Amino acid sequence: MPATMPKQRPLNAAVLPGGERGAAVPPQAATAPAARYGAGLFLRVWRSRWFIALRSFAIFVGLWALLAAWVASPLQLPSPATVFDAMVGLARKGELLSQTLISASRLGVALLVAAVIAVPLGFAMALSRELNAYLDPIVELLRPISGIAWIPLGLFIFGVGGTLPVFIMTYVAFFPLLLNTIDGVRDIDRKLLAAAKTMGVTRKAQLVHVVVPAALPSVMVGFRIAFASAWAAIIAAELIGSPSGLGFSIEWYRQLLMSPKVFSFIVLIGVVGYLSDLVLRALQRKLTPWAEGLGIDA
Amino acid sequence: MSMNVNTRPADVMPPWAKAITLPIILVVIWQAWAMTLPETSPAPAPLKVVQSFVELTASGELVWATLQSLGRVLAGFAIALAAGLSLGVLMGSSRMVRENLDPIVESFRPIAPMAILPIAILWFGTGTPAALTIVAYAAFFPLLINTIHGVSRVDRQLIRAAQTMGISRLRIVIAVVVPAAIPSVLLGSRLAMGVAWTAIIAAELAVGAKSGGGTSGGVGQMMFVFYAYSIDLNGIVVCMIVVGVIALLIDRLFRLVERHLLPWRN
Repeated sequence: MPATMPKQRPLNAAVLPGGERGAAVPPQAATAPAARYGAGLFLRVWRSRWFIALRSFAIFVGLWALLAAWVASPLQLPSPATVFDAMVGLARKGELLSQTLISASRLGVALLVAAVIAVPLGFAMALSRELNAYLDPIVELLRPISGIAWIPLGLFIFGVGGTLPVFIMTYVAFFPLLLNTIDGVRDIDRKLLAAAKTMGVTRKAQLVHVVVPAALPSVMVGFRIAFASAWAAIIAAELIGSPSGLGFSIEWYRQLLMSPKVFSFIVLIGVVGYLSDLVLRALQRKLTPWAEGLGIDA
Repeated sequence: MSMNVNTRPADVMPPWAKAITLPIILVVIWQAWAMTLPETSPAPAPLKVVQSFVELTASGELVWATLQSLGRVLAGFAIALAAGLSLGVLMGSSRMVRENLDPIVESFRPIAPMAILPIAILWFGTGTPAALTIVAYAAFFPLLINTIHGVSRVDRQLIRAAQTMGISRLRIVIAVVVPAAIPSVLLGSRLAMGVAWTAIIAAELAVGAKSGGGTSGGVGQMMFVFYAYSIDLNGIVVCMIVVGVIALLIDRLFRLVERHLLPWRN
């Protein structure tokens, strides 16, 4: 079935590794029927995903504690316990939440602005060859310049503050959204469009009922990539040019030599990033349940 | 496919003319805007950028800074390649290893490279090793994930055929799995070099910003000096263009290698 073959999309391949393996009993289990009946429950728990994850984390934290004890420099590598203490302290003071909210709201604004510009532009560029001929070169000229490289110039224009991270993130989120939208619209099954035309559907109705639904899964993929890039960029932007936010916090406590707090914020960055991607994936499945049939992996 | 047969000037323009229209208009507007400003204004202007580019190239500063940054990217990439490939082959070929390490890898992945810069500075100070750590960390994940992807997607029939012939597990990995994973690894390398190049600029910029202008060198550092000390916005724009051009060259080079080594794709 060549129609359902996953397309060659270099950008997505890095971000979306297949999560195809379930927690079902592996084929090897069939060769050991005794184990299946004897200690079935134990084995099922032992092989369940969450237990494996928990065990891995326990081992990881254990190794970290050992390493911390061996390094014996709370400045360079604080022990898991002190980091946990610092985290609880920061959470009590409300600092974890307030800094997260600051970064998250900047991220939200940036993604919104980027989506409002990039998605309609993507549709227009994919549908009009003329427009694409004029705009594509400038997109390709700007795209290789990473958002990070805009920071010094952005500092001059916006100064140190909240606008710089929003600007950098909007820039960074713009390109994956635009390119995935263009891809999504261009890769629409021609037969669907031809069928709609044969039935005499108006151009506007074609757009609303055929083009948009067919392109939406790709737009959602673009949105997830945009989020991941923006999440990486905000740390850099806040670290260098902002007096608040998660990126600022890690550098601030580094300068104060409060390593446990630095580590706390790094853990927080990981957790927030992970949870957000989880939410986006769920949203993707919910909003575009037909994506799977198009060979776009969620 | 267009049915239009009218001959408005826009339609008879060749593609390259359309391609350069908008960039030229923008540059002209930019230059015109800059000329309305007083002579002392630090605002960048296209002509001044060109002048700055010529000066920086003639003095050798720009070339040297670019080489320094590229050298760091290559060193960091080499570290990431060694770590990512070996771990990727392990995780891709053994289900047990993969299941146990996946949670750890997945929880580090959303931590941006720049987030570990403070730790790198605590460990190594503000010199090259801190920058290398960031680059290697950034490049590690695309390499690892694409290697796992490539290795675990190897055609089962090939492996079964090898098994039927009584070949050992290790030799199957070396002779069957690794060659089959090369396309994926190449893709991972291209992505990794891209993020590594972004990361080195960020690291140099931030190390410069946070160490009070150390002497670490590189394009990012150069940008920071232009920003904080000599207030030379034209120089900053030159650096931005260099960052873009190098990124483009890296991407094209890897695509070329991919096409050369894997002619059966596409």
